[in-house]
Amino acid sequence: MSSLSLSEKEAIILANDSDPQRILNMLIAIQYGSEEGYIDEATAQLVGDHLHLSQARVYEILSFYAILKTEPQAKYVLKICNSTPCLFTGGTMLAEVLETILEVPADEPTPDGLFMYHSIPCIGACDKGPVIKIKDTVFADLTEAKVYQLIDDLQRGCYQEL
Amino acid sequence: MIKRNQPVLLERVNKMRQATNVGEYQEYQGFSGLLKAIEMDKEAILDELDLAHLRGRGGAAFPLGKKWRHLYGAKGDTKYIVCNADEGEPGTFKDKVLLKHDPLSVIEGMVIAGYLFSAKAGYIYMRGEYLGIQKIFQEALDNAEKAGFLGENILGIPGFNYNITIISGAGAYVCGENSALLNSIEGKTGRPRVKPPHLADVGLYLQPTLVNNVESFAGIPVILREGGQAYRDLGTEDGGGTKLICLSGHIKNRGLYEVNLGTSLQDILYSEEYGGGTSTGRPLKFIHFGGQSGPIGAVQNLEDCIYSYEGLWDKDLSIGSGAIVVMDDQVSIVDYLVQVAAFFAHESCGKCTPCRLGTTRILELLTKFNNQTAVVGDLERLEKMLMHVTNLSACGLGQSVANPMKSGLAYFPEEFEAGIREAVTPVKGGLW
Repeated sequence: MSSLSLSEKEAIILANDSDPQRILNMLIAIQYGSEEGYIDEATAQLVGDHLHLSQARVYEILSFYAILKTEPQAKYVLKICNSTPCLFTGGTMLAEVLETILEVPADEPTPDGLFMYHSIPCIGACDKGPVIKIKDTVFADLTEAKVYQLIDDLQRGCYQEL
Repeated sequence: MIKRNQPVLLERVNKMRQATNVGEYQEYQGFSGLLKAIEMDKEAILDELDLAHLRGRGGAAFPLGKKWRHLYGAKGDTKYIVCNADEGEPGTFKDKVLLKHDPLSVIEGMVIAGYLFSAKAGYIYMRGEYLGIQKIFQEALDNAEKAGFLGENILGIPGFNYNITIISGAGAYVCGENSALLNSIEGKTGRPRVKPPHLADVGLYLQPTLVNNVESFAGIPVILREGGQAYRDLGTEDGGGTKLICLSGHIKNRGLYEVNLGTSLQDILYSEEYGGGTSTGRPLKFIHFGGQSGPIGAVQNLEDCIYSYEGLWDKDLSIGSGAIVVMDDQVSIVDYLVQVAAFFAHESCGKCTPCRLGTTRILELLTKFNNQTAVVGDLERLEKMLMHVTNLSACGLGQSVANPMKSGLAYFPEEFEAGIREAVTPVKGGLW
Protein backbone atom coordinates (compact mmCIF):
# COMPACT_ATOMS: atom_id res chain seq x y z
CA MET A 1 0.00 0.00 0.00
CA SER A 2 1.31 3.42 -0.85
CA SER A 3 0.36 6.70 0.73
CA LEU A 4 -2.63 8.60 -0.54
CA SER A 5 -2.15 11.26 -3.20
CA LEU A 6 -3.40 14.79 -2.67
CA SER A 7 -6.42 14.15 -4.89
CA GLU A 8 -7.26 10.93 -3.01
CA LYS A 9 -7.18 12.82 0.28
CA GLU A 10 -9.38 15.53 -1.20
CA ALA A 11 -11.78 12.87 -2.46
CA ILE A 12 -12.16 11.55 1.11
CA ILE A 13 -12.87 15.06 2.39
CA LEU A 14 -15.43 15.66 -0.35
CA ALA A 15 -17.04 12.26 0.23
CA ASN A 16 -17.74 13.57 3.73
CA ASP A 17 -19.19 16.80 2.25
CA SER A 18 -16.29 18.84 3.73
CA ASP A 19 -18.54 18.79 6.80
CA PRO A 20 -16.78 19.67 10.08
CA GLN A 21 -19.20 17.31 11.84
CA ARG A 22 -17.49 14.44 10.07
CA ILE A 23 -13.90 15.50 10.64
CA LEU A 24 -13.16 12.30 12.56
CA ASN A 25 -14.57 10.14 9.75
CA MET A 26 -12.22 11.92 7.31
CA LEU A 27 -9.11 11.84 9.47
CA ILE A 28 -9.50 8.12 10.21
CA ALA A 29 -10.08 7.29 6.54
CA ILE A 30 -7.02 9.29 5.48
CA GLN A 31 -4.85 7.85 8.23
CA TYR A 32 -5.85 4.23 7.55
CA GLY A 33 -5.28 4.83 3.85
CA SER A 34 -1.68 5.91 4.32
CA GLU A 35 1.25 3.58 4.68
CA GLU A 36 2.83 5.62 7.47
CA GLY A 37 -0.41 5.51 9.43
CA TYR A 38 -0.48 9.10 10.64
CA ILE A 39 -1.71 12.56 9.74
CA ASP A 40 1.20 14.71 8.70
CA GLU A 41 1.30 18.48 8.93
CA ALA A 42 0.44 19.05 5.27
CA THR A 43 -2.60 16.78 5.59
CA ALA A 44 -3.75 18.51 8.76
CA GLN A 45 -3.46 21.80 6.89
CA LEU A 46 -5.39 20.36 3.94
CA VAL A 47 -8.25 19.18 6.15
CA GLY A 48 -8.26 22.51 8.01
CA ASP A 49 -8.43 24.49 4.77
CA HIS A 50 -11.35 22.49 3.41
CA LEU A 51 -13.26 22.69 6.68
CA HIS A 52 -12.36 26.31 7.43
CA LEU A 53 -10.63 25.29 10.64
CA SER A 54 -7.30 26.53 11.88
CA GLN A 55 -4.44 24.06 11.97
CA ALA A 56 -4.42 24.41 15.74
CA ARG A 57 -8.04 23.19 15.88
CA VAL A 58 -7.16 20.19 13.73
CA TYR A 59 -4.20 19.38 15.97
CA GLU A 60 -6.36 19.76 19.06
CA ILE A 61 -8.51 16.99 17.65
CA LEU A 62 -5.55 14.87 16.49
CA SER A 63 -4.03 14.96 19.95
CA PHE A 64 -7.28 14.28 21.83
CA TYR A 65 -8.48 11.10 20.12
CA ALA A 66 -6.44 7.95 20.69
CA ILE A 67 -6.92 6.42 17.25
CA LEU A 68 -5.45 9.45 15.49
CA LYS A 69 -1.66 9.71 15.25
CA THR A 70 0.69 12.59 14.48
CA GLU A 71 3.86 10.52 14.15
CA PRO A 72 4.73 7.79 11.61
CA GLN A 73 3.68 4.32 12.75
CA ALA A 74 5.07 0.89 12.02
CA LYS A 75 3.45 -0.93 9.11
CA TYR A 76 1.61 -3.28 11.44
CA VAL A 77 0.64 -1.78 14.77
CA LEU A 78 -0.49 -4.66 16.98
CA LYS A 79 -2.94 -3.39 19.57
CA ILE A 80 -3.46 -5.48 22.67
CA CYS A 81 -6.57 -4.88 24.76
CA ASN A 82 -5.55 -4.22 28.36
CA SER A 83 -9.01 -3.88 29.87
CA THR A 84 -9.79 -6.36 32.60
CA PRO A 85 -11.92 -8.93 30.69
CA CYS A 86 -9.14 -9.42 28.13
CA LEU A 87 -6.17 -8.87 30.40
CA PHE A 88 -7.23 -11.52 32.90
CA THR A 89 -8.05 -14.09 30.23
CA GLY A 90 -4.60 -14.26 28.70
CA GLY A 91 -3.87 -10.65 27.76
CA THR A 92 -0.65 -10.46 29.71
CA MET A 93 0.68 -13.40 27.71
CA LEU A 94 0.37 -11.39 24.48
CA ALA A 95 2.74 -8.62 25.51
CA GLU A 96 5.28 -11.16 26.76
CA VAL A 97 5.14 -13.25 23.60
CA LEU A 98 5.36 -10.20 21.33
CA GLU A 99 8.38 -8.92 23.22
CA THR A 100 10.03 -12.32 22.77
CA ILE A 101 9.29 -12.55 19.07
CA LEU A 102 9.88 -8.94 18.06
CA GLU A 103 12.69 -8.23 20.54
CA VAL A 104 11.50 -4.68 21.19
CA PRO A 105 9.60 -3.21 24.13
CA ALA A 106 6.06 -1.86 23.75
CA ASP A 107 5.61 1.34 21.74
CA GLU A 108 8.91 0.88 19.90
CA PRO A 109 8.98 -0.11 16.23
CA THR A 110 11.10 -3.06 15.12
CA PRO A 111 14.27 -1.97 13.27
CA ASP A 112 12.74 -2.94 9.92
CA GLY A 113 9.75 -0.68 10.63
CA LEU A 114 7.36 -3.57 10.16
CA PHE A 115 5.94 -4.06 13.67
CA MET A 116 5.04 -2.19 16.80
CA TYR A 117 2.78 -3.26 19.67
CA HIS A 118 1.08 -1.48 22.49
CA SER A 119 -1.89 -1.72 24.81
CA ILE A 120 -5.17 0.02 24.20
CA PRO A 121 -8.45 -0.01 26.17
CA CYS A 122 -11.49 -2.01 25.13
CA ILE A 123 -12.13 -2.82 21.49
CA GLY A 124 -15.50 -4.49 22.10
CA ALA A 125 -14.36 -8.08 21.67
CA CYS A 126 -14.39 -9.00 25.38
CA ASP A 127 -15.90 -12.43 24.71
CA LYS A 128 -13.03 -13.39 22.42
CA GLY A 129 -10.03 -12.39 24.49
CA PRO A 130 -7.10 -12.37 24.33
CA VAL A 131 -7.18 -10.32 21.14
CA ILE A 132 -4.83 -8.36 18.91
CA LYS A 133 -6.23 -5.67 16.67
CA ILE A 134 -4.52 -4.40 13.54
CA LYS A 135 -6.34 -1.46 11.96
CA ASP A 136 -9.98 -2.66 11.86
CA THR A 137 -9.22 -6.39 11.98
CA VAL A 138 -9.46 -8.34 15.23
CA PHE A 139 -7.50 -11.57 15.75
CA ALA A 140 -9.36 -13.35 18.54
CA ASP A 141 -9.00 -16.23 21.03
CA LEU A 142 -5.23 -16.09 20.68
CA THR A 143 -2.78 -18.59 22.08
CA GLU A 144 1.00 -18.38 22.10
CA ALA A 145 1.19 -20.57 19.01
CA LYS A 146 -1.37 -18.44 17.19
CA VAL A 147 0.62 -15.26 17.89
CA TYR A 148 3.77 -16.84 16.38
CA GLN A 149 1.68 -17.85 13.37
CA LEU A 150 0.18 -14.37 13.03
CA ILE A 151 3.58 -12.65 13.02
CA ASP A 152 4.86 -15.19 10.54
CA ASP A 153 1.85 -14.64 8.27
CA LEU A 154 2.25 -10.87 8.44
CA GLN A 155 5.94 -11.13 7.57
CA ARG A 156 5.07 -13.26 4.56
CA GLY A 157 2.55 -10.65 3.42
CA CYS A 158 -0.54 -12.83 3.94
CA TYR A 159 -2.76 -9.93 4.95
CA GLN A 160 -2.56 -7.59 1.98
CA GLU A 161 -5.56 -5.58 3.14
CA LEU A 162 -3.91 -4.49 6.38
CA MET B 1 -47.99 -11.66 21.23
CA ILE B 2 -44.66 -11.75 22.97
CA LYS B 3 -43.99 -14.12 25.81
CA ARG B 4 -41.34 -14.27 28.48
CA ASN B 5 -38.15 -16.09 27.55
CA GLN B 6 -38.59 -15.17 23.94
CA PRO B 7 -35.85 -13.11 22.32
CA VAL B 8 -37.17 -9.67 21.47
CA LEU B 9 -34.09 -7.66 20.53
CA LEU B 10 -32.09 -10.60 19.23
CA GLU B 11 -35.05 -12.22 17.46
CA ARG B 12 -33.98 -11.17 13.99
CA VAL B 13 -30.25 -11.33 14.69
CA ASN B 14 -30.27 -15.09 14.42
CA LYS B 15 -32.66 -15.28 11.50
CA MET B 16 -31.94 -12.59 8.94
CA ARG B 17 -29.68 -13.54 6.08
CA GLN B 18 -28.90 -9.94 5.16
CA ALA B 19 -29.19 -7.54 8.06
CA THR B 20 -29.55 -4.41 5.92
CA ASN B 21 -32.38 -5.74 3.73
CA VAL B 22 -35.57 -3.78 4.38
CA GLY B 23 -37.88 -6.39 2.83
CA GLU B 24 -36.45 -9.12 4.99
CA TYR B 25 -36.62 -6.86 8.05
CA GLN B 26 -40.33 -6.34 7.38
CA GLU B 27 -40.89 -10.08 7.15
CA TYR B 28 -39.96 -10.15 10.84
CA GLN B 29 -42.33 -7.36 11.85
CA GLY B 30 -39.83 -4.65 10.98
CA PHE B 31 -41.20 -1.10 10.74
CA SER B 32 -44.57 -2.19 12.19
CA GLY B 33 -43.73 -0.18 15.32
CA LEU B 34 -43.26 2.94 13.19
CA LEU B 35 -46.44 2.25 11.21
CA LYS B 36 -48.34 1.98 14.46
CA ALA B 37 -46.75 5.14 15.85
CA ILE B 38 -47.85 7.34 12.93
CA GLU B 39 -51.46 6.23 13.48
CA MET B 40 -51.28 7.23 17.13
CA ASP B 41 -51.75 10.51 18.91
CA LYS B 42 -48.33 11.78 20.08
CA GLU B 43 -49.42 11.90 23.71
CA ALA B 44 -50.52 8.29 23.37
CA ILE B 45 -47.04 7.32 22.17
CA LEU B 46 -45.56 8.92 25.28
CA ASP B 47 -48.12 7.08 27.44
CA GLU B 48 -47.08 3.72 25.96
CA LEU B 49 -43.41 4.52 26.68
CA ASP B 50 -44.22 5.41 30.29
CA LEU B 51 -46.25 2.24 30.66
CA ALA B 52 -43.41 0.12 29.23
CA HIS B 53 -41.04 1.44 31.88
CA LEU B 54 -37.96 1.02 29.70
CA ARG B 55 -34.93 2.27 31.55
CA GLY B 56 -32.07 3.70 29.49
CA ARG B 57 -29.82 0.83 28.47
CA GLY B 58 -26.60 2.79 28.20
CA GLY B 59 -25.95 2.44 31.89
CA ALA B 60 -27.63 5.28 33.75
CA ALA B 61 -31.00 3.46 33.85
CA PHE B 62 -33.04 6.68 33.71
CA PRO B 63 -36.68 6.00 32.72
CA LEU B 64 -36.85 6.55 28.98
CA GLY B 65 -40.46 7.73 29.08
CA LYS B 66 -39.53 10.61 31.39
CA LYS B 67 -36.61 11.63 29.20
CA TRP B 68 -38.77 11.63 26.08
CA ARG B 69 -41.50 13.59 27.85
CA HIS B 70 -38.93 16.19 28.90
CA LEU B 71 -37.80 16.66 25.31
CA TYR B 72 -41.42 16.71 24.11
CA GLY B 73 -42.08 19.62 26.45
CA ALA B 74 -38.83 21.43 25.61
CA LYS B 75 -39.18 24.69 23.71
CA GLY B 76 -37.58 24.88 20.29
CA ASP B 77 -38.43 24.37 16.63
CA THR B 78 -35.31 22.34 15.93
CA LYS B 79 -34.88 19.19 17.96
CA TYR B 80 -32.13 16.66 17.40
CA ILE B 81 -32.16 12.90 17.87
CA VAL B 82 -28.83 11.32 18.77
CA CYS B 83 -28.04 7.65 19.18
CA ASN B 84 -25.11 6.94 21.46
CA ALA B 85 -23.26 4.07 19.80
CA ASP B 86 -19.92 4.86 21.41
CA GLU B 87 -19.90 1.57 23.23
CA GLY B 88 -16.56 1.83 25.01
CA GLU B 89 -17.32 0.30 28.39
CA PRO B 90 -14.92 -2.64 28.80
CA GLY B 91 -16.90 -5.86 29.10
CA THR B 92 -19.64 -4.55 26.83
CA PHE B 93 -20.19 -5.60 23.24
CA LYS B 94 -23.97 -5.71 22.98
CA ASP B 95 -24.56 -2.64 20.82
CA LYS B 96 -22.05 -4.00 18.31
CA VAL B 97 -24.31 -6.98 17.69
CA LEU B 98 -27.42 -4.86 17.11
CA LEU B 99 -25.58 -2.36 14.91
CA LYS B 100 -24.12 -5.13 12.80
CA HIS B 101 -26.88 -7.70 12.69
CA ASP B 102 -30.07 -5.66 13.13
CA PRO B 103 -29.26 -2.05 12.20
CA LEU B 104 -32.76 -1.38 10.91
CA SER B 105 -34.25 -1.86 14.38
CA VAL B 106 -32.05 0.96 15.68
CA ILE B 107 -32.99 3.08 12.66
CA GLU B 108 -36.69 2.35 13.24
CA GLY B 109 -36.42 3.50 16.85
CA MET B 110 -34.67 6.68 15.75
CA VAL B 111 -37.28 7.35 13.06
CA ILE B 112 -40.07 6.98 15.63
CA ALA B 113 -38.28 9.57 17.76
CA GLY B 114 -37.88 11.77 14.68
CA TYR B 115 -41.61 11.56 14.05
CA LEU B 116 -42.62 12.22 17.64
CA PHE B 117 -40.38 15.27 18.05
CA SER B 118 -40.74 16.55 14.46
CA ALA B 119 -36.95 16.37 14.18
CA LYS B 120 -35.23 16.82 10.85
CA ALA B 121 -31.84 15.43 11.74
CA GLY B 122 -30.74 12.36 13.60
CA TYR B 123 -27.16 11.38 14.37
CA ILE B 124 -25.62 8.09 15.33
CA TYR B 125 -22.23 8.49 16.97
CA MET B 126 -20.40 5.21 16.52
CA ARG B 127 -17.07 4.40 18.08
CA GLY B 128 -14.02 4.45 15.83
CA GLU B 129 -13.24 0.84 16.69
CA TYR B 130 -16.37 -0.23 14.78
CA LEU B 131 -15.37 1.10 11.35
CA GLY B 132 -16.55 -2.01 9.51
CA ILE B 133 -19.93 -1.75 11.21
CA GLN B 134 -20.23 1.90 10.20
CA LYS B 135 -20.23 0.70 6.58
CA ILE B 136 -22.95 -1.86 7.29
CA PHE B 137 -25.01 0.74 9.09
CA GLN B 138 -24.64 3.19 6.21
CA GLU B 139 -25.92 0.50 3.85
CA ALA B 140 -28.95 0.01 6.13
CA LEU B 141 -29.56 3.78 6.12
CA ASP B 142 -29.36 3.89 2.31
CA ASN B 143 -31.75 0.96 2.00
CA ALA B 144 -34.20 2.50 4.46
CA GLU B 145 -34.14 5.74 2.49
CA LYS B 146 -34.76 3.91 -0.79
CA ALA B 147 -37.73 2.18 0.81
CA GLY B 148 -39.17 5.51 1.96
CA PHE B 149 -38.49 5.22 5.69
CA LEU B 150 -35.96 8.08 5.66
CA GLY B 151 -35.66 11.23 3.57
CA GLU B 152 -38.47 13.49 2.38
CA ASN B 153 -42.15 12.94 3.15
CA ILE B 154 -41.57 9.65 4.92
CA LEU B 155 -44.45 7.18 4.44
CA GLY B 156 -46.18 9.80 2.35
CA ILE B 157 -46.68 12.13 5.29
CA PRO B 158 -46.13 15.70 4.08
CA GLY B 159 -43.40 17.45 6.03
CA PHE B 160 -42.11 14.27 7.70
CA ASN B 161 -38.53 14.85 6.54
CA TYR B 162 -35.84 13.12 8.52
CA ASN B 163 -32.33 11.87 7.90
CA ILE B 164 -29.70 10.10 9.97
CA THR B 165 -25.95 10.79 9.71
CA ILE B 166 -23.20 8.53 11.01
CA ILE B 167 -20.50 10.33 12.96
CA SER B 168 -17.40 8.33 13.79
CA GLY B 169 -15.67 8.47 17.13
CA ALA B 170 -11.89 8.13 17.23
CA GLY B 171 -11.03 6.42 20.47
CA ALA B 172 -12.15 8.33 23.54
CA TYR B 173 -14.12 6.59 26.29
CA VAL B 174 -15.32 9.93 27.64
CA CYS B 175 -17.31 10.49 24.43
CA GLY B 176 -19.79 7.95 25.76
CA GLU B 177 -20.80 10.72 28.16
CA ASN B 178 -23.68 12.41 26.39
CA SER B 179 -22.52 16.03 26.46
CA ALA B 180 -18.98 15.06 25.42
CA LEU B 181 -20.53 13.08 22.61
CA LEU B 182 -22.45 16.13 21.39
CA ASN B 183 -19.27 18.22 21.44
CA SER B 184 -17.57 15.55 19.38
CA ILE B 185 -20.41 15.60 16.82
CA GLU B 186 -19.92 19.35 16.54
CA GLY B 187 -16.35 18.68 15.40
CA LYS B 188 -14.79 19.63 18.71
CA THR B 189 -12.77 17.66 21.20
CA GLY B 190 -15.01 15.35 23.17
CA ARG B 191 -14.87 16.95 26.59
CA PRO B 192 -18.04 17.00 28.70
CA ARG B 193 -20.07 20.15 29.20
CA VAL B 194 -21.01 21.65 32.50
CA LYS B 195 -24.57 20.63 33.40
CA PRO B 196 -27.20 21.95 33.89
CA PRO B 197 -28.63 22.95 31.45
CA HIS B 198 -30.09 19.57 30.61
CA LEU B 199 -29.36 18.33 27.08
CA ALA B 200 -33.09 18.06 26.47
CA ASP B 201 -33.18 21.85 26.72
CA VAL B 202 -29.73 22.87 25.45
CA GLY B 203 -28.07 20.09 23.51
CA LEU B 204 -26.53 19.70 20.07
CA TYR B 205 -25.85 23.16 18.58
CA LEU B 206 -27.61 24.48 21.69
CA GLN B 207 -30.95 23.00 20.57
CA PRO B 208 -33.12 20.53 22.52
CA THR B 209 -31.62 17.09 22.00
CA LEU B 210 -32.51 13.51 22.81
CA VAL B 211 -29.61 11.15 23.45
CA ASN B 212 -30.33 7.45 23.93
CA ASN B 213 -28.33 4.25 23.71
CA VAL B 214 -28.48 1.80 20.78
CA GLU B 215 -30.27 -0.85 22.83
CA SER B 216 -32.83 1.69 24.06
CA PHE B 217 -33.67 2.76 20.51
CA ALA B 218 -33.95 -0.87 19.42
CA GLY B 219 -36.55 -1.42 22.15
CA ILE B 220 -38.84 1.41 21.02
CA PRO B 221 -40.36 -0.39 17.98
CA VAL B 222 -41.13 -3.40 20.19
CA ILE B 223 -42.97 -1.22 22.71
CA LEU B 224 -45.13 0.41 20.06
CA ARG B 225 -45.76 -2.82 18.20
CA GLU B 226 -46.66 -4.93 21.21
CA GLY B 227 -47.93 -2.23 23.58
CA GLY B 228 -46.32 -0.77 26.68
CA GLN B 229 -47.90 -3.25 29.09
CA ALA B 230 -46.73 -6.31 27.13
CA TYR B 231 -43.20 -4.90 27.12
CA ARG B 232 -43.30 -4.13 30.80
CA ASP B 233 -44.46 -7.68 31.55
CA LEU B 234 -41.19 -9.01 30.09
CA GLY B 235 -39.33 -7.43 32.98
CA THR B 236 -40.03 -6.58 36.59
CA GLU B 237 -41.72 -3.86 38.59
CA ASP B 238 -38.76 -1.47 38.46
CA GLY B 239 -37.84 -1.93 34.83
CA GLY B 240 -39.67 -3.44 31.86
CA GLY B 241 -38.39 -5.48 28.96
CA THR B 242 -35.46 -7.74 28.33
CA LYS B 243 -31.79 -6.87 28.76
CA LEU B 244 -28.84 -7.74 26.61
CA ILE B 245 -26.06 -9.06 28.81
CA CYS B 246 -22.42 -9.58 27.90
CA LEU B 247 -20.69 -12.44 29.69
CA SER B 248 -16.91 -12.41 29.72
CA GLY B 249 -13.95 -13.32 31.89
CA HIS B 250 -13.51 -16.74 33.47
CA ILE B 251 -16.85 -18.12 32.38
CA LYS B 252 -17.31 -21.02 30.01
CA ASN B 253 -19.83 -19.67 27.52
CA ARG B 254 -18.64 -16.12 26.94
CA GLY B 255 -20.91 -14.08 24.72
CA LEU B 256 -24.05 -12.02 24.31
CA TYR B 257 -27.41 -13.16 25.70
CA GLU B 258 -30.86 -11.66 26.01
CA VAL B 259 -32.53 -12.28 29.36
CA ASN B 260 -35.77 -11.14 30.91
CA LEU B 261 -35.14 -8.71 33.72
CA GLY B 262 -35.89 -10.87 36.75
CA THR B 263 -33.81 -13.90 35.74
CA SER B 264 -31.80 -15.48 38.56
CA LEU B 265 -28.12 -14.57 38.54
CA GLN B 266 -27.23 -18.16 39.39
CA ASP B 267 -28.92 -19.22 36.15
CA ILE B 268 -26.96 -16.62 34.20
CA LEU B 269 -23.67 -17.79 35.70
CA TYR B 270 -24.08 -21.52 35.89
CA SER B 271 -26.82 -22.85 33.59
CA GLU B 272 -25.69 -24.27 30.26
CA GLU B 273 -28.16 -21.98 28.52
CA TYR B 274 -26.06 -18.99 29.59
CA GLY B 275 -22.67 -18.89 31.31
CA GLY B 276 -22.16 -22.58 32.00
CA GLY B 277 -19.98 -21.97 35.07
CA THR B 278 -16.27 -21.47 35.38
CA SER B 279 -13.95 -21.77 32.39
CA THR B 280 -10.80 -22.35 34.39
CA GLY B 281 -11.96 -25.13 36.70
CA ARG B 282 -11.46 -22.75 39.63
CA PRO B 283 -14.34 -21.42 41.72
CA LEU B 284 -15.69 -18.02 40.72
CA LYS B 285 -14.78 -15.18 43.05
CA PHE B 286 -16.25 -11.87 42.02
CA ILE B 287 -18.33 -10.24 39.32
CA HIS B 288 -17.86 -6.78 37.87
CA PHE B 289 -21.23 -5.49 36.71
CA GLY B 290 -21.95 -2.88 34.06
CA GLY B 291 -18.45 -2.10 32.84
CA GLN B 292 -15.39 -0.52 34.45
CA SER B 293 -17.50 2.15 36.14
CA GLY B 294 -19.83 -0.40 37.71
CA PRO B 295 -19.75 -2.02 41.14
CA ILE B 296 -18.21 -5.39 42.02
CA GLY B 297 -20.03 -8.18 43.87
CA ALA B 298 -18.57 -11.23 45.61
CA VAL B 299 -20.03 -14.40 44.09
CA GLN B 300 -20.62 -16.00 47.51
CA ASN B 301 -22.94 -13.15 48.51
CA LEU B 302 -25.04 -13.37 45.37
CA GLU B 303 -26.66 -16.79 45.64
CA ASP B 304 -30.16 -15.35 45.93
CA CYS B 305 -29.61 -12.46 43.55
CA ILE B 306 -32.16 -11.66 40.87
CA TYR B 307 -30.85 -9.92 37.76
CA SER B 308 -33.15 -6.92 37.63
CA TYR B 309 -32.75 -3.25 38.49
CA GLU B 310 -34.18 -3.62 41.98
CA GLY B 311 -32.58 -7.04 42.49
CA LEU B 312 -29.12 -5.59 41.98
CA TRP B 313 -29.84 -2.34 43.81
CA ASP B 314 -30.75 -4.45 46.86
CA LYS B 315 -27.17 -5.73 46.80
CA ASP B 316 -25.63 -2.30 46.16
CA LEU B 317 -24.96 -3.33 42.59
CA SER B 318 -26.29 -2.09 39.27
CA ILE B 319 -26.97 -3.35 35.77
CA GLY B 320 -25.13 -0.54 34.02
CA SER B 321 -24.44 -1.38 30.41
CA GLY B 322 -25.18 -5.08 30.92
CA ALA B 323 -21.56 -6.19 31.21
CA ILE B 324 -20.99 -9.17 33.51
CA VAL B 325 -17.27 -9.76 33.89
CA VAL B 326 -16.59 -12.83 36.03
CA MET B 327 -13.26 -13.57 37.69
CA ASP B 328 -12.08 -16.75 39.40
CA ASP B 329 -10.40 -17.11 42.79
CA GLN B 330 -6.90 -16.74 41.38
CA VAL B 331 -7.44 -13.08 40.58
CA SER B 332 -6.43 -10.64 43.30
CA ILE B 333 -8.98 -7.88 43.73
CA VAL B 334 -6.19 -5.33 44.18
CA ASP B 335 -4.47 -6.42 40.98
CA TYR B 336 -7.82 -6.24 39.19
CA LEU B 337 -8.58 -2.76 40.51
CA VAL B 338 -5.14 -1.48 39.49
CA GLN B 339 -6.08 -2.27 35.91
CA VAL B 340 -9.46 -0.58 36.34
CA ALA B 341 -7.76 2.50 37.79
CA ALA B 342 -5.25 2.53 34.93
CA PHE B 343 -8.17 2.57 32.53
CA PHE B 344 -9.71 5.64 34.18
CA ALA B 345 -6.39 7.47 34.47
CA HIS B 346 -5.87 6.86 30.74
CA GLU B 347 -9.39 7.89 29.74
CA SER B 348 -9.90 10.95 31.94
CA CYS B 349 -10.34 13.82 29.50
CA GLY B 350 -8.35 16.18 31.70
CA LYS B 351 -10.88 18.98 31.71
CA CYS B 352 -11.56 18.96 35.45
CA THR B 353 -8.79 18.67 38.01
CA PRO B 354 -10.42 16.26 40.49
CA CYS B 355 -10.70 13.61 37.78
CA ARG B 356 -7.44 14.37 35.97
CA LEU B 357 -5.27 14.25 39.07
CA GLY B 358 -7.55 12.09 41.19
CA THR B 359 -7.57 9.13 38.84
CA THR B 360 -3.76 9.25 38.69
CA ARG B 361 -3.44 9.39 42.48
CA ILE B 362 -5.90 6.49 42.88
CA LEU B 363 -3.85 4.45 40.42
CA GLU B 364 -0.64 5.22 42.34
CA LEU B 365 -2.19 4.29 45.67
CA LEU B 366 -3.65 1.03 44.39
CA THR B 367 -0.32 0.17 42.80
CA LYS B 368 1.32 0.58 46.21
CA PHE B 369 -1.12 -1.91 47.71
CA ASN B 370 -0.47 -4.25 44.82
CA ASN B 371 3.30 -4.02 45.26
CA GLN B 372 2.92 -4.44 49.02
CA THR B 373 4.55 -1.10 49.59
CA ALA B 374 1.52 0.68 51.02
CA VAL B 375 2.00 2.22 54.45
CA VAL B 376 -0.32 2.61 57.41
CA GLY B 377 -2.75 5.40 56.54
CA ASP B 378 -2.84 4.63 52.82
CA LEU B 379 -6.17 2.85 53.15
CA GLU B 380 -7.71 5.97 54.67
CA ARG B 381 -6.04 8.08 52.00
CA LEU B 382 -7.49 5.88 49.31
CA GLU B 383 -10.99 6.12 50.78
CA LYS B 384 -10.76 9.87 51.06
CA MET B 385 -9.41 10.17 47.53
CA LEU B 386 -12.29 8.08 46.21
CA MET B 387 -14.78 10.31 47.99
CA HIS B 388 -13.18 13.46 46.60
CA VAL B 389 -13.05 12.25 43.03
CA THR B 390 -16.67 11.08 43.21
CA ASN B 391 -18.02 14.29 44.68
CA LEU B 392 -15.92 16.87 42.85
CA SER B 393 -15.64 15.54 39.31
CA ALA B 394 -17.68 17.32 36.65
CA CYS B 395 -19.04 14.34 34.74
CA GLY B 396 -20.02 10.72 35.06
CA LEU B 397 -16.53 9.44 34.30
CA GLY B 398 -14.93 10.82 37.44
CA GLN B 399 -18.09 10.41 39.47
CA SER B 400 -18.16 6.67 38.92
CA VAL B 401 -14.47 5.80 39.29
CA ALA B 402 -15.04 4.88 42.94
CA ASN B 403 -17.85 2.37 42.28
CA PRO B 404 -15.64 -0.66 41.64
CA MET B 405 -13.02 0.44 44.19
CA LYS B 406 -15.45 0.91 47.06
CA SER B 407 -17.18 -2.43 46.55
CA GLY B 408 -13.81 -4.15 46.18
CA LEU B 409 -12.73 -2.61 49.48
CA ALA B 410 -15.97 -3.62 51.17
CA TYR B 411 -15.87 -7.28 50.14
CA PHE B 412 -12.16 -8.04 50.23
CA PRO B 413 -10.58 -5.70 52.83
CA GLU B 414 -8.03 -8.33 53.83
CA GLU B 415 -6.44 -8.22 50.38
CA PHE B 416 -5.81 -4.51 50.74
CA GLU B 417 -4.52 -4.91 54.29
CA ALA B 418 -2.07 -7.52 53.03
CA GLY B 419 -0.54 -4.84 50.82
CA ILE B 420 0.43 -2.66 53.78
CA ARG B 421 4.05 -2.97 54.80
CA GLU B 422 3.73 -3.30 58.56
CA ALA B 423 7.36 -2.49 59.29
CA VAL B 424 7.00 1.16 58.35
CA THR B 425 6.49 3.76 61.05
CA PRO B 426 2.96 5.12 60.84
CA VAL B 427 2.66 8.46 59.06
CA LYS B 428 1.21 11.08 61.35
CA GLY B 429 -1.43 13.51 60.14
CA GLY B 430 -1.25 14.80 56.60
CA LEU B 431 -4.37 13.13 55.32
CA TRP B 432 -5.69 14.78 52.19
